[in-house]
Amino acid sequence: MELTALQQDALIELLNIGFGRAGASLSQLTRHRVLLEVPKVTIRPIEEVAQALEGVIASDVASVHQIFSGPVAGDALLMLDQNGAAILKELLTSEPALPLAIDASAREVITEVGNILLNACLGTFGNILHVQVAFSVPQLSLESVGGILESLRVHREGVRYALVVHAAFKLRDTEVRGYLVIILSVVSLDRLLREVEAWERDNR
Amino acid sequence: MIDRALPTRTLLDLAARQWFDELADRGIVVTDNDLIVRAWNSWLVEQTGILADNAIGHPLFVVCPTIAARGLGEHYQRALIGEVRVLAHRFHKFLIPVSKSALPAGATEATQTARIVPLTSDGQVVGTVTIVEDVSERVVSERELRNQILVSERARNVAEDASKLKDEFLATMSHEIRTPLNAVLGWTQILRTQGNIKSRDRALEVIERNAASQLRLVEDLLDMARIVSGKLRLDIETIELQTVVQAALDVIEPGATAKRVAIVADFEAMPIPINADADRLQQAVWNVLSNALKFTNSGGTINVSVRRDNTTARLIVADTGQGITAEFLPYVFDRFRQADASTSRRHGGLGLGLALTRQILELHGGSIEVKSAGTDKGSTFAFRLPVADTLAQAAATIKPHLDADALDGIVVLIVDDSADSREMLEVALRAYCASVTTVDSVDYALAKLASGSIVPDVVVSDIGMPGRDGYELIRRLRSFAEPIRSTPAIAVTAYADPEDRMRALAAGYQLHLAKPADPSVVAESILSLNAARSSSAKHHRS
Repeated sequence: MELTALQQDALIELLNIGFGRAGASLSQLTRHRVLLEVPKVTIRPIEEVAQALEGVIASDVASVHQIFSGPVAGDALLMLDQNGAAILKELLTSEPALPLAIDASAREVITEVGNILLNACLGTFGNILHVQVAFSVPQLSLESVGGILESLRVHREGVRYALVVHAAFKLRDTEVRGYLVIILSVVSLDRLLREVEAWERDNR
Repeated sequence: MIDRALPTRTLLDLAARQWFDELADRGIVVTDNDLIVRAWNSWLVEQTGILADNAIGHPLFVVCPTIAARGLGEHYQRALIGEVRVLAHRFHKFLIPVSKSALPAGATEATQTARIVPLTSDGQVVGTVTIVEDVSERVVSERELRNQILVSERARNVAEDASKLKDEFLATMSHEIRTPLNAVLGWTQILRTQGNIKSRDRALEVIERNAASQLRLVEDLLDMARIVSGKLRLDIETIELQTVVQAALDVIEPGATAKRVAIVADFEAMPIPINADADRLQQAVWNVLSNALKFTNSGGTINVSVRRDNTTARLIVADTGQGITAEFLPYVFDRFRQADASTSRRHGGLGLGLALTRQILELHGGSIEVKSAGTDKGSTFAFRLPVADTLAQAAATIKPHLDADALDGIVVLIVDDSADSREMLEVALRAYCASVTTVDSVDYALAKLASGSIVPDVVVSDIGMPGRDGYELIRRLRSFAEPIRSTPAIAVTAYADPEDRMRALAAGYQLHLAKPADPSVVAESILSLNAARSSSAKHHRS
């Protein structure tokens, strides 16, 4: 399954609205200008995501995970490689580095950043879809991309797809790349894409 | 029986309530969707001092006005539209202020993380739940861990710096050793191949100067090694500070004149007695003077003043030279440290001189300080030394000027396995008209003495030689019959430590001179030893 050019454009536009909001929140939070961009969105079966992402993130990742429910339901994850997570944390709080595994305060910082980002994206989807999306409390984990995705597959049934959103944080002249992975059932994905197309048509 | 049959839902409600009120080790606030406080747990009562009755029924932002005042109200608006918010203490420090008595010692505000979660019923947000956790202990232990890591990183950096300094020093040392050698070898070759050159004097002068500078370099290195290993011994006697400084000035004067740098000396008229090793102290003063001269341009001035301040003797060397940057100032007396270690640096030297100076001063119970207003503002070195109680009889030994025939008629036996040293001494002593015999071993010397083929007035011997050494020579010589037995003997040796001197004197030598010995000093020593022997012999006879 591939996104049409229209769907791709519309999703990027929508996500950028959400990222704009998240960037503003992060700038306010850190008193530094934080820019967030979505250069690319792809969609693929969840089975292929690990392989695709492991090509770009070799090490363990720091991932912030939130479950969302409502008419469109699924799992949303922000994934940063550990280096990116460390850079982000230091740029945001100017504390010298400790390994993330023993730095609960840094993990909280990453969790809050992920929370802001995930809320902004899914909140924007909710607005477009005119439905309320409910979230779980965000959880941060440190493991491999494959491990994270495997644990998400275990308790879910049916064919599921992942919307992989490439994210670029720009702050203090440094760019940190991350991935937003939104995992949806076929039904949820279908609904989302239809609404996205409708939104795109209405806005032309 | 009925109790046991309670539905699970009821039990869960009871558990939740019990957890909320008693079990939770964190603050829990429940509001309705107008943000009116509906529940306020006992942890919060304890921490904030606000009783549940004073919180419940009131708007949250009235109960805790700082939430809205600090811009955190937006999180509640977000929660009311279904978003979960997590607040990291790094970003927000705290959500709900606590009373002073609840703060850890030394803290001025709470250290909290918080979660603000929408409370939903049938998909509708009906209120919010706030959970506040005190993380001050965790933050303290993280800070300690971070400090430990910083400390160990700093230690590693210091070690890396030290090793880099040593590398630089080795590079500098190789360069400094090679440079004079190049000059010596180059000019030697010229002398050899062009027997008739006009610049013969110039060649010799260059060779001498470079050899001398190399000797000083090696001496500095050895001194530093001795100081580092605690083996530097001082020959302390009571001397005048002015004499030492003047001696150093005498050495530096020609260089200053050549460079057109004026030296202005201002000495206190009354002699200032100090307990010091005259040679070492002169070396220390010379190091600072030559440093000043090195960094002062033509037309500049070096002011040298010697003063007494009660029990402290002060020597100030102030120059108008290139000064020292504030960054380098703290490292001036560090070993191996030079302001400019690059290969293109303008000034030579090992960077040991000032380090030695400080060590020597400290061995004397004194100190040295440096000041500089910065680049091109000159530098001022200030020595402090304790004044000695009394000035012992100053052995005012005025160097006799030796006449060209001073050693006329004196028979000298030179024992040295090194042909160069032998030859050098032979030529030098013959220049004073001495009658010189040289041998290359102790055995040969003893054979000559035993056979009576030579009856020397003075014996000059090396110590370290293959086979029998200089100690053995003197022991054997002292067991000969007169007049050999009482022949004055001078040890000229590369074993230059005070211990070596003691050993040589104990073995029977009258004098100990360190190699390379100045030929004129050897000649003077021969003269005075010979004179002493003749007068005592006369005395004996009369």
